[in-house]
Amino acid sequence: MTPLLAQAGLTQGVTVALVLSAALFTIGLIGFLVRRNMILMFLCTELMLQAASIAFIAFGRMREDTGGQTFVIFILTVAAAEAALALGLVVLLYRRRETLSAEAWQELHE
Amino acid sequence: MTFAASMLAHSLTLAPGGGGDAAHASLADAPIVAATADPSLAWMGWVLALPAISAVLCALCAAFRVKNKLPAICTVLALGSAFALVLKLYLARGPGAAPVTVHLWDWMNFGWGGGPWKSFQADVSLYIDSLTLLWMLFVTGLGTLIALYASEYMEAERGPGYARFFFGVSVFLLAMSALVMADNLVLLYFGWEGVGLASYLLIGFYYRKPSAVAAAKKAFIMNRVGDLGLAVGIWLIWVNYGTVEFGALFQAFDDAARGVGGWDRSLIPFCLMLGAFGKSAQLPLFTWLPDAMEGPTPVSALIHAATMVTAGVYLIARMQPLFSLHPDAMATVGWIGALTALLAATIGMAQYDIKRVFAYSTISQLGYMFMGLGVGTAFGAAYHVFTHAFFKALLFLTAGAVMHGFAGQLDLRHLSGLRRVPGFRIVSWTMLIGCLWLSAFPYSAGFFSKDLILVQAMSSPRFQMLGWIGLGTAALTAYYTFRVWFRVCAGPVAYAPGDEDHGHDDPAHDAHGHAAHGDDAHGHDDHGGAFHPHAPRLAINSVLLLICAGAILAGVPGIQALRGEQNWVQEMVSNSSAVRAAGVDHVTEPVAFGMDPHKLVTVFGTGACLGGIAIALWIHLLDRRMADRLRTALLSNGLTRWLPTSMENKWYVDELYHALFRLPAWVTSHLLHFFDRHFIDGLLVNGLGRVPVAMGRLFQPLYNGALQGYAGTMAGGLVLVLAWVAWKWLGATGGAA
Amino acid sequence: MSPTPTFMNAPLMPWYIAAAIGAAGLLMVLRPGRAAMRRAGAVIGLAGFGLLLAESLKLAGPADQSISTPFMMAFAAVGVIGAVRVVTHPRPVFAAIYFILTVLAAAATFLVLDAEFLAFALIIVYAGAILITYLFVLMLAHQSPEDEIGHIGAEDYDRVPREPFVAVLLGFFLLASLGSAIERGPELARENAAAATARLAERKAEAAKSMPRLTVALPEGSNPSDAVSNVQMVGLDLVAKYPASLELAGVVLLMAMFGAVVLARRQIELGEDERRKAAGMGGMVLDVPEHERGGA
Repeated sequence: MTPLLAQAGLTQGVTVALVLSAALFTIGLIGFLVRRNMILMFLCTELMLQAASIAFIAFGRMREDTGGQTFVIFILTVAAAEAALALGLVVLLYRRRETLSAEAWQELHE
Repeated sequence: MTFAASMLAHSLTLAPGGGGDAAHASLADAPIVAATADPSLAWMGWVLALPAISAVLCALCAAFRVKNKLPAICTVLALGSAFALVLKLYLARGPGAAPVTVHLWDWMNFGWGGGPWKSFQADVSLYIDSLTLLWMLFVTGLGTLIALYASEYMEAERGPGYARFFFGVSVFLLAMSALVMADNLVLLYFGWEGVGLASYLLIGFYYRKPSAVAAAKKAFIMNRVGDLGLAVGIWLIWVNYGTVEFGALFQAFDDAARGVGGWDRSLIPFCLMLGAFGKSAQLPLFTWLPDAMEGPTPVSALIHAATMVTAGVYLIARMQPLFSLHPDAMATVGWIGALTALLAATIGMAQYDIKRVFAYSTISQLGYMFMGLGVGTAFGAAYHVFTHAFFKALLFLTAGAVMHGFAGQLDLRHLSGLRRVPGFRIVSWTMLIGCLWLSAFPYSAGFFSKDLILVQAMSSPRFQMLGWIGLGTAALTAYYTFRVWFRVCAGPVAYAPGDEDHGHDDPAHDAHGHAAHGDDAHGHDDHGGAFHPHAPRLAINSVLLLICAGAILAGVPGIQALRGEQNWVQEMVSNSSAVRAAGVDHVTEPVAFGMDPHKLVTVFGTGACLGGIAIALWIHLLDRRMADRLRTALLSNGLTRWLPTSMENKWYVDELYHALFRLPAWVTSHLLHFFDRHFIDGLLVNGLGRVPVAMGRLFQPLYNGALQGYAGTMAGGLVLVLAWVAWKWLGATGGAA
Repeated sequence: MSPTPTFMNAPLMPWYIAAAIGAAGLLMVLRPGRAAMRRAGAVIGLAGFGLLLAESLKLAGPADQSISTPFMMAFAAVGVIGAVRVVTHPRPVFAAIYFILTVLAAAATFLVLDAEFLAFALIIVYAGAILITYLFVLMLAHQSPEDEIGHIGAEDYDRVPREPFVAVLLGFFLLASLGSAIERGPELARENAAAATARLAERKAEAAKSMPRLTVALPEGSNPSDAVSNVQMVGLDLVAKYPASLELAGVVLLMAMFGAVVLARRQIELGEDERRKAAGMGGMVLDVPEHERGGA
């Protein structure tokens, strides 16, 4: 559009990456809301983390800054830790009720 | 007795002093002698300490349920010692010594620079001049005698009640001494409130009696109105003059006499006046005093006749240098006094309760005192305070003796011929002395003191009207005073006992105990003449005789003043801050009927007194049915009906206050209660409380335990925030460019 | 540009429409029902996403030679398809496998965006480690029920989505807002162009300054950022700029490991809670000491 935008680095490729990020995040959120399987709900949060990672990479590319990539490493770290703990918990819950449905645990709010 | 003797001695040893005219020619700007600090008089602190110790001992007696007369002994000894100390100081100093201050200990002492407005000093210090001593002599002297009287009078209450009574008396003496001896207005205010408290406690002494409780509350609340005036006055004094200590204040007043004050400076005397009128039961605030007669009679004699109610007179006399700067304030004091005197006298004419008659006469006489202050004779006012303290205390104590002897009977329609009842001779004759003195019988002390005030009023054309009002009131006074005496003490012997159990304390009934007395009294009622009056014994009779002697001797300075000699009271007043108004301007020109003021007052005053007594003699002794016929005649005539009805109903002042203050306050309080309950409580407090509850109900379905529900809420919030940011913040910035 | 953007005259109107079309498609795919309907929904959804991409290209600046736009778009399409299948597939194992597809697509975009190290790290860590763990757990926990004729079906709770309409509506608003942010961002950048350019130059200079501290040897006269490979750059950045975060990440991993070990040590019988309930001993008991647990 203007040279200034080029200077800011928001080129077509970066824009497409950002749109992909937004779409993945939205789908991940929708998935978290509609899926009833606890494991798949966690999978959807991983999807949202993916979207965040893509956005980080795209912005890093746009600004020619490696900080974006560095942060994705931290995201991977947190995702791994979360997966380990969450899956451990899900296994415990599953053994109690023999189901993966999140609705089996609704009474926890009392 | 010693007190009166010493007074006599001093008055006799005084030199004539060149006569009144020369001595008081330049009174208007007579200098006020500056007070000097005198640490060697620190023992005067015991005058305050002794009643305090006595109060503590009485409280201990109450705590340990002492059943004997120990509290009375403690109190009488303490007050007697205090009186001895005051007397010692008086004898050492004489009436003419310069004022001294005695610093006892620091109380409030702030300084942020020193000097006026830059420091605030109100210590427990004494300011002792002749005015202080005059008041202290009769306060402690009468306090001792009345405590002695009460030791017999209150013996039916022996036990905690007895101790409580003497505790109250001790507290009163402590506070009154602090009030009179204070060297600053703050300590004076402390004493002022203290006597109010003691008065409240003692009026409500019979706290099981609803009327006594109501009277105590009434006295306390009406005094609050006045005390507010005093407090505001003290504050304004500090704001305007920068100090509250008398010594510095009198200098400041002298300086202020040459300057121009602001509006709030001219407000000061009116504020102080309000306080004085409240304490001394003057016109807007007098209705508490008659009700205060619910208290035990010694209390009525000491607090509500002789001492406390004169505190207002003391305050104005003490602040005379301030009042002399404000002629309007002086005139207001005079007019209020005269009108109160007249109004109270008319009410007193129509009352049947002996103590109430005396209460209205007290209000009336206090009115005279304020009239004296207003027309400019602090000497006359102080002298009237002095004589009144004796004869009014005497009258109340005789009324108390009657009440004590006749089981609380005080209605003068049910008592007659007491003079011939065995054991009541002393009571009757001392009461006659009191009545003569009160009605200003020629050559009685009351005659001299009232004479001084009226002469001063007559001397000045501005106040001549007040003089005539005073003379008319004197006739009314003589009438209602002797109405009591002729009804109660003269005539055929006839009496009916009252229905109160206290006071009816025959030694023969001691075995029945206190509780049985009420039944006994009723039993006597039923059997008519089986009631035996219980005659006063040694303590009451001796106290009556002592005070009677004091009342007689109180006339000595009056005789001297009549002769134009310098006398004891006048010298005492002249040596105090009241010096500016201490003298009599002798006007020798005729003011009315071709007579000079002195002669005018003497002639008309004597005539009023004798006329009043004569009418009372006629319609209350010689032809007693005449009074009833007169009343019936007045009532049957439509034009005059208002007179007896309104007099018997105390001019409807209570009803007026009820309509003006109590009713609006009642309505307002109910409105506010409604407002508080339905608006503050209902809408604001509970209503606000219901908002979260309602919101909780609204959002409760969201809290269903479903994980996605929470996630959806969270995501919704996130989206809202994001949308807001995108729309408002990003959008607005884009639009601005 | 309109002075005050309102919803209707916003320059983003096509974006909103595209998002709405995509959302409608996703909703049709989500609703369990006829296969034809779902296929139509897939087509509509893809069309919506295509419109979004086209709209974003209009918003963007000129093509950058180093980033291949067609490749990006292709990978984006693959990623979105995978993500939609993750959300919609009735059988969890397949959903997980589709997630791997999305991860691969994301890795491919990373490659295009010159983040080679992260692309491979993503595949190795995500697809290789995390997703495999998910699959293990899914298979461990989940025996899909068989119907009468022996077909392996899906659990009800996997087949039926929960409140799809509300979720999709929420998603639509989210996407619309994100679109506003993407669209407005460059405008803001343009308005503050000078400051942004200066800041960019400053950052570059700073990066150039910090590089020599750690690079030992660089060819003479070469631009550091050119000479250093992507792996080196990320590694230098990590150690030079964020050492504390690196340590913290290590602590997070360690704690996660402890947590996983503690969780794994808890022995719970299969269906224990159900049996406790049947025995009238109350529901879930999460904190029962060892000795009491034996009594149950």
